[in-house]
Amino acid sequence: MPDSVLTVTGLRKFFTVRRGFPRTRTVTVRALDGISFHVRDGEAFGLVGESGCGKSTAGRAGLRLIEPDAGEIDFKGENVVTASKARMRVLRRKLQIIFQDPYASLNPRRRIGKALIEPMRVHGIAADAECEERAHALLAEVGLPDDAMTRYPHEFSGGQRQRIGIARSLTLEPELLVADEPVSALDISIQSQILLLLQRLQENRKLAFIFISHDLGVVRYFCQRMAVMYLGRIVETGPIPAIFQEPLHPYTRMLRDASPVPDPQFKVIMQRIEGEVPSAVDPPSGCHFHTRCPHVMPVCRDVYPEWRQTDDERGVACHLHAR
Amino acid sequence: MTTTADAPILAVENLVTSFRTGGGWHPAVRDVSFAVQHNETLAIVGESGCGKSVTALSIMGLVPPANGRIAGGHIRFAGLDLVALDDEEMRRIRGDRISMIFQEPMTSLNPVLTVGFQVAEALRYHRDMGRRESDVAALELLDQVKIPSARARFADYPHQFSGGMRQRVMIAMALACRPELLLADEPTTALDVTIQAQVLSLLAELKAAYGMAMIFITHNLGVVASIADRVAAMYAGEIVEIAPVNALFARPTHPYTELLLRSIPRVDRDMGGLSTIAGQVPAIGAMPSGCRFAPRCPLREPTCTTGDPLLVPLPGAADHLVRCRVRAPQSEAQHA
Repeated sequence: MPDSVLTVTGLRKFFTVRRGFPRTRTVTVRALDGISFHVRDGEAFGLVGESGCGKSTAGRAGLRLIEPDAGEIDFKGENVVTASKARMRVLRRKLQIIFQDPYASLNPRRRIGKALIEPMRVHGIAADAECEERAHALLAEVGLPDDAMTRYPHEFSGGQRQRIGIARSLTLEPELLVADEPVSALDISIQSQILLLLQRLQENRKLAFIFISHDLGVVRYFCQRMAVMYLGRIVETGPIPAIFQEPLHPYTRMLRDASPVPDPQFKVIMQRIEGEVPSAVDPPSGCHFHTRCPHVMPVCRDVYPEWRQTDDERGVACHLHAR
Repeated sequence: MTTTADAPILAVENLVTSFRTGGGWHPAVRDVSFAVQHNETLAIVGESGCGKSVTALSIMGLVPPANGRIAGGHIRFAGLDLVALDDEEMRRIRGDRISMIFQEPMTSLNPVLTVGFQVAEALRYHRDMGRRESDVAALELLDQVKIPSARARFADYPHQFSGGMRQRVMIAMALACRPELLLADEPTTALDVTIQAQVLSLLAELKAAYGMAMIFITHNLGVVASIADRVAAMYAGEIVEIAPVNALFARPTHPYTELLLRSIPRVDRDMGGLSTIAGQVPAIGAMPSGCRFAPRCPLREPTCTTGDPLLVPLPGAADHLVRCRVRAPQSEAQHA
């Protein structure tokens, strides 16, 4: 992909966890089971799915914040997986992340100014005076008052803390930002403020985003393309809004139809009530979605559907769309 | 139990619930009035700190006595004023005639008791049922909330259930005594959207089957559109708009409700641009004088910051009330 800034191929990450009482047993969570996607220059790429689908792991493994078990990550022609420690330090500047709860990632005993200046110092970006100047500029860019420099994290509201988190992710002038549920913890009025801020940054700084969210409305608004994940695999990718208008995978359709919209004419109704939803610890045989799929066929129970690129832009893994 | 058909099952009148913070008492809920009919779902919607949960806790008599109190108003339920009841009288109503479900079922379920035991508990307490009789009834309830193979899962513990199933267990517990009023405080917020859709459908179905009234508290206007018959929007402790669900979404009239609706990115259509509401919700101890939304309001006029606006019906729509001097002329109040 010549125009893509980040290309991920066959990324895999399994976790082993011990669970159970009184007798513990070791289980393998297949968090990422070989996923591939690419993010284009200046594009916001959405990763959506329900809890436990592996979307957060995908974001972190894509930046090598957790070491993938297998797969390749290419950032502008450079192999991220095999990059040396020294080289990784340089790459880190280009690849940054924003979390859902910035409070958890801010040191409560450290003033905001210091939190912003420290990364610049560590990476030796500029002299002290210039770092300070840049920190002031960043605060203005994310819409925080200048006196925030000398204040502590607890003095800010949730929305303001997210602005701090965003400012800090920008300190090293990144080219790709992973935003992991950046607005999920915020009230609606604050959520829209932060979305507009991120959009402005995307335009002004030509930033590329991997935007992880369970909220399809937010992804439709913010992203240009997206991938839908289910139990560790990507089941569909496509451009927005086409993927919403005509979803190919039954799971994408189910997610879309279950997402409530603020209009009483379109009530979300799902008469079929499910029991246990399968997890990535023990994904169902064949197509992982077959236990919940309204269009299940015999083949779905035995064979995982092959990935099929339906055109240049869209792809799906579903037997309904097999050749 | 017997009330006339058109009398509301619940009428909250001028409720004020205050909390002690920073050495003084401040109202978290101020002058809140609404009524709920039998077989009606009223959604209370608003952002964090708007007082929607405190309203529910006030109705349940669960305002923490250490730093909170109902400072004024009445909560009339089937001929009783709940504010005037003592703890013992309230305990007899709670879980029997009024019950409540919460956002995170795991924190409301006892992890060391079986699911079946917990569902049966309300029946033993309120209905004086024996163990065997209450177990039979509890099993039936678990079937009603569509727990698959309920008999086999009866003796399971909460941790063995998924999030959606736990919430359905909570619903079974709440419905055990066939309450006349169910309070649901963000019951689907912690759930994935597909599970949320299932729980919403189940609640709507059970509400209709039982003919009970429901107060559904949420911050999600999409969920409101799916479940509510009427909607009350709250801001900074006050109801700013209350209307039938279709009217509220077709004609949101308070500037806050209108902006909120335009701030939601929608999954079913492309938004030209999102609206935002500048600033943030005022702190409980620092409420602005006059209209509490005025500092963030694009329609603000000089008079907005002087006197408290009243919640008044819109001209020609007696069931659509709005608290705004600009959009809902206050002189209507005097005529009404």
